[in-house]
Amino acid sequence: MTEKNNISRRRFIFGSALSFAGLVSGFISSNKALAELIITENGNNKIMSFAPSIWVEITKENEVIVTVARSELGQGVRTSFSMILADELDADWDLVRVRNAEGDSKYGNQSTGGSTSIRTFWQPLRTAGAQAKKMLITAASLIWGISEANCYAEKSFVYEKNGSRKLSYGELIDKALTLPVPPTNSVTLKKSSEFKLIGKTKWNFDEPDIVTGKAKYGSDYRVQGMKYAVILRCPYISGSLQSYDDTNAKKVKGVLGVYQMSEGIAVVAENSWAALEGRNALKAVWRQNSNFSSEDIRKAFTDKIGTLPNLPANTSKFIEGVYEVPFLAHTTMEPMSAFAHFKDGNCEVWTGTQNPQTARSNVASALGISQSNVTVNVMLSGGGFGRRHDNDYVVMAAKISKLSGYPILFFYTKEDDIKNDNFRPASMHAFKVGITSSGYPSGWIQKVISQGDVSPNNPNYDVPNITNQTASERFGIRTGPWRSVDYTQNIFVNESLIDELAHLAGKDPYQYRYDLTKDGRLKNVLKLVAEKSNWGSQLPKGWGRGIAAFVGYGAYIAHVVEVSISDTGKLKIQKVYAVVDPGFAINPGNIKNQIMGAAIDAFSTALNTEITVKNGEIQQSGFHNFRWLTMEDVPEFDIDIIHTSETPSGMGEVGFPSVTPALCNAIFDATGIRIRRLPIAHTSLVSEVEKKSQISNNVEFEAVPTPFESSFKVSIKLKRWNQPKLDVSIVDILGKKLIKTLIEFDGIRYIGEFSFPTIAAGTYYVLFSDGIDSYSFPIMKK
Amino acid sequence: MILNINNKNYDIDVDPDMPLLWVLRDVLGLTGTKYGCGIGFCKSCTVLIDGNAEQSCLIPVRFIGTKKITTIEGLSNDGSHPLQKAWVEVGVSQCGYCQPGQIMTAAALLKKKPKPTIEDINEEMSGNVCRCGTYNKIRDAIILASKE
Repeated sequence: MTEKNNISRRRFIFGSALSFAGLVSGFISSNKALAELIITENGNNKIMSFAPSIWVEITKENEVIVTVARSELGQGVRTSFSMILADELDADWDLVRVRNAEGDSKYGNQSTGGSTSIRTFWQPLRTAGAQAKKMLITAASLIWGISEANCYAEKSFVYEKNGSRKLSYGELIDKALTLPVPPTNSVTLKKSSEFKLIGKTKWNFDEPDIVTGKAKYGSDYRVQGMKYAVILRCPYISGSLQSYDDTNAKKVKGVLGVYQMSEGIAVVAENSWAALEGRNALKAVWRQNSNFSSEDIRKAFTDKIGTLPNLPANTSKFIEGVYEVPFLAHTTMEPMSAFAHFKDGNCEVWTGTQNPQTARSNVASALGISQSNVTVNVMLSGGGFGRRHDNDYVVMAAKISKLSGYPILFFYTKEDDIKNDNFRPASMHAFKVGITSSGYPSGWIQKVISQGDVSPNNPNYDVPNITNQTASERFGIRTGPWRSVDYTQNIFVNESLIDELAHLAGKDPYQYRYDLTKDGRLKNVLKLVAEKSNWGSQLPKGWGRGIAAFVGYGAYIAHVVEVSISDTGKLKIQKVYAVVDPGFAINPGNIKNQIMGAAIDAFSTALNTEITVKNGEIQQSGFHNFRWLTMEDVPEFDIDIIHTSETPSGMGEVGFPSVTPALCNAIFDATGIRIRRLPIAHTSLVSEVEKKSQISNNVEFEAVPTPFESSFKVSIKLKRWNQPKLDVSIVDILGKKLIKTLIEFDGIRYIGEFSFPTIAAGTYYVLFSDGIDSYSFPIMKK
Repeated sequence: MILNINNKNYDIDVDPDMPLLWVLRDVLGLTGTKYGCGIGFCKSCTVLIDGNAEQSCLIPVRFIGTKKITTIEGLSNDGSHPLQKAWVEVGVSQCGYCQPGQIMTAAALLKKKPKPTIEDINEEMSGNVCRCGTYNKIRDAIILASKE
């Protein structure tokens, strides 16, 4: 790996006392740089490198080592940070190396979350590059006895402007070390037109190592004498250990020890397989302190909805209903793992984590040692998505090392990883939204009930009279941040609701959005995505398109999704158009990769995946029952970046939120079926007409008109019949019965009229049975 | 037990039931082959066994015998396999963790079908999960490699 993670050479501080307080902005408070020295055989010091700040080091061999203090999870931070610093330094990209910062407060906030890395480090890294370049130019001017104005830097060399002399950065470090570090506010940053690296695509810095198997993730750490550990955890939510028997486990060849700890029963062995075999041989009895299931959570949520306030008096039409989203697991490709070695009161950690500083403090407190005795080295993460903010696995590694005395690589299996995850919260979003006679929103009322801490986000648009309410219902299920966090639920709801309002108003969903905002950047992404997708043009039969937008993480994005739905209700996502305004686009190719990946993430979770509970146990256990799309399912992408001079923004999460509603809006366009519950798999996508033909052997059904204004007529004809009465129910999206009638029936045809002047607009279902099969037909109220 | 891995013989003393994956990773330190799910559903652990793409997490090492194993470390000496070069050229990886498995699956495909169609690629690659969603790029890279 092109990385200097383990610098064994001794490092000395040059000059007087250095302090690196007040980081991120103004991280150089001293006037001298750091140097790295070795003491040669004859006792003389030899300068090996020069570090004008904690962010960059230049070696005698003319390498530039950039220290990256945010964690690489696949979002490209090692690449983009290096590009930013190297550009201002005018370094030769081929000579740039990357070092991951260990967890230490001197680097400022190292939490890799909220898509904050670029926004936080954009200016400091540029400044650090510019400071270093200034010192190297000054050094050359002094050596040559010419003015700095007659020197310029290019590709890791300083050149004499009107001459032939040149010196590499590596050759200049001895002289540069004698110079004061210029104050951060004294250096001139490049104009964007002067950028050589920033704004041009650089693919993943680690790609050459990834494709040859050399890239090292947390689970790849290997050292002489290390052992492997797994843990048996209680399968029940809020359950606990009653007793266990490890006799057989200890007999497994390679098992070295079994340890009870607060998290469960740990097995330490010579290799991963022996640890797993040992764990299989454990006999444990668990106390089950809860026995609830997913339906209990839904019911508890429903019971908390209560009565929403009234919409303003100028409301002419309104929609009232409920959206629902499930728990989601992170399921990174690489299950959680960490190496820890507790020895002589110190603990050394190597892991992939989104927060090495909390890993450090958590390990220190778990082991009862000072933070200064804990070193957390950051390795590549095989995906993060928010999961690695919780360093539970790092703490377990450290505890097991202390208990066993071995250097330990602790790992979760995929099943452990899913069942013990901190899930994206499940939530229910009750809403009442209305329009005035003009068709534009009159008011917007939402109440979010979650197992977690989800509160509503306001819509992206100019909507008056917003009321947000929040409630939670705790069942003891652990929740945590998950890529795009609450936006995953709220933007699905908001952008679906805007779509519902547009249809309620009889207006085009794109134009409706465009007219509802004065924000020029939002208008731009909407307009361009509509143009790119040829919005309004005719689509083939069975196809639909949907639009949605998102503003967040300092960026703007709009999506159009095109779907097709077969006669049997099979959905295919055909094409995705995305237009993103990221502010200044630092690494355009990676931005497109992120937008594409986030969309596939959103499609997978929208279609198939959810975490459910049965009798107190999480039911999902692997990629087979928590499914992600694979290659044959992914759509074609058309992604555009609007290049602006605005401040650059975070790109790891922005691509997710508007994809789900764009997909569901497309499904509505194709079928008339409004998806108000995720995953979509809960809803049959067989449209009314097609459903009729599909089961016409047994039943004929017709409801007119649809969508209906205040009442509709139902005609049911059955081909087979063995009951004296026909039971017809009208249910809402949650299956709650609004009307239930028992009708005298001759077994041939029923015609009846149902009147619903007061219920909200939305999707309802007519349910009945012929005594053999049950039938459900969707109907729409305007 | 002698295993032939990347054209080199390794004499190992392990539980014969141990899946090849853990032999590679823990016993031999060949960590390029990744553990993703352990039950054959994600294919992060794919290696070539006599040229066929197999999931090393499912195969007890005693079944290997004299068959030749190729891992990502042995696909080329210097990253010069057409797939490795195509991956770098196209810029496939995000987190990169599943990519060794993707590349090994693709390597077996190209051996069988040097000029695969889109349908061939989709079919062969459909079991390899990428949580970052790099599928379109993987497909582009395989097509590029097949042109070499």
